[in-house]
Amino acid sequence: MRLNRVVYGDVTTLDLLSVILIFLVAVILAKGLTIYLRRSLKEKVSKDKLQIISKAIYYGILGIAVLASFPILGINPSGLLVAGGIFGIIIGFASQSIVGNLISGVFLMMERPIKIGNSVRIGEYSGMVEDIRVISTSLRTWDGIYVRIPNEKVFTDSIINYVAHVARRFGYMVGIRYSDDADKAISIIKNLIEDHPMALKNPPPQVFVDNLGDNAVNIVVRMWTPAKEWYGLKMEMLWKIKKALEKEGIEIAFPQRTVWFANEPDTREAADSS
Amino acid sequence: MKTNADQSSPRSLDKEQGQQRTYSKAGSFYGRHNLPVSLSREGFSISIDQVGDTWLYQRECDGDRVEKKLLTSINMVLINPVEPLNRPKEITSYLLVEFERPLMIEPGVKRRIFVTFPIEIGVFMSSKRGFEIIDILTMQKQKFTLYGNPRTGVICKYWKSSIHATEPQVDPIRQGVMRLNVSNVSDHWVEVTRAVFNAFGMKLFYSTDLVAMKATMKILGKYMAETDFSNSPLRKDMTNSLELYTSRKLIVTAPKFIMEQGI
Repeated sequence: MRLNRVVYGDVTTLDLLSVILIFLVAVILAKGLTIYLRRSLKEKVSKDKLQIISKAIYYGILGIAVLASFPILGINPSGLLVAGGIFGIIIGFASQSIVGNLISGVFLMMERPIKIGNSVRIGEYSGMVEDIRVISTSLRTWDGIYVRIPNEKVFTDSIINYVAHVARRFGYMVGIRYSDDADKAISIIKNLIEDHPMALKNPPPQVFVDNLGDNAVNIVVRMWTPAKEWYGLKMEMLWKIKKALEKEGIEIAFPQRTVWFANEPDTREAADSS
Repeated sequence: MKTNADQSSPRSLDKEQGQQRTYSKAGSFYGRHNLPVSLSREGFSISIDQVGDTWLYQRECDGDRVEKKLLTSINMVLINPVEPLNRPKEITSYLLVEFERPLMIEPGVKRRIFVTFPIEIGVFMSSKRGFEIIDILTMQKQKFTLYGNPRTGVICKYWKSSIHATEPQVDPIRQGVMRLNVSNVSDHWVEVTRAVFNAFGMKLFYSTDLVAMKATMKILGKYMAETDFSNSPLRKDMTNSLELYTSRKLIVTAPKFIMEQGI
């Protein structure tokens, strides 16, 4: 094979091979550098920032490789701008949804309502953000299912980010019997919350009698927790509260109805007098 | 119910003095040890014993038992206090010390006070590349809190301390002493109820009977202050601890903390 054979214009086979070599070197360099950065910064930088840094470096190196190959291929960048403009209009009309997703992706990266690793709900999907790419965002649902959502949908749909704020509150309603001491129950619950490291000291927890229900004295229990830890605490605390209350002789009330029969007046009188 | 307030109040002083004989041997606890090693204190024990060609690390602390097999050629372990932000889970790099009584400080005044902080003990194994952490344990009750509001605030490790005019006597396995230089550069009397510190600036030192840090708190206004650490020991005979956060620090990581959501 003759390396100086002209392929088109002034571009020879050697030029094409040089461009391929530049791209190969660029890809290897970009991959190597991103792997090195991921390893060395893994413990120092958050996952989402690391993804952005490594992607910027990866595509930056590839971009430089593309620019470096232009003169070899005899391409004039200023001419490209005009051609690119026209090409862009054509592509824009032909693929509106892709461009829409791309622009939404850029805005998502700028506004950053979600980050990689966040627990979110986007429209009908709930899960953890696995990746935010230019065209789409991928989630891993709580069942471990992969969901790819186009960025246009992410951008226009309502987003609930469960961990955007550092702390969040959750609560329970605990119903105890009318015969039990509500003050004692409140004290037991407060002690349990105080003893748990993930139940925040401040804002302080709230434990109070919320209402006198049909079958129980209803105690509201509210506590704040680090946003990333709330589910573990929520799973743990309710059963702990139930066990702690029962240990002290306070029982969780259950719905009951007393029925008096009209033909049993003696029984009713006896019950009333007791 | 246990409380994490420091035990250096006058009420508990007798008890501490009684315990001092026990924990005055902390110097033989912290530092480098050749394997095999077996160390125990009230409430916990650490041992590394040879089992065949490998080493078995065993630790028991407050009923929590950990066992790990170690494959190592360098038979040395380092035990020293680390930043108290790793247990039960590393979720923040900030420590909030709440004062038992508020501190009122006059404008333009500089004062030196002493507060306590919780101790977490790091167990490091030696390797050709330095030391690597293999376990962290603590004897203190753990609690977190929020400094500021949920949107702009930060989660902090929580600790309640009395304010002391002189160095308090504490068990170095459980509590450390922080010398805090408080200066009020504002034009008002200021009430200080808490101080928040960034772990990336912490510099821990230990000796036979003390674990200590030196920090500063510059009060900039009624609701704002700046905290920082000093890289020098409280006493000359103290050894610098091998910290966890300092090794992870990037050039861009600021070791100071600006308390702008209230003091």
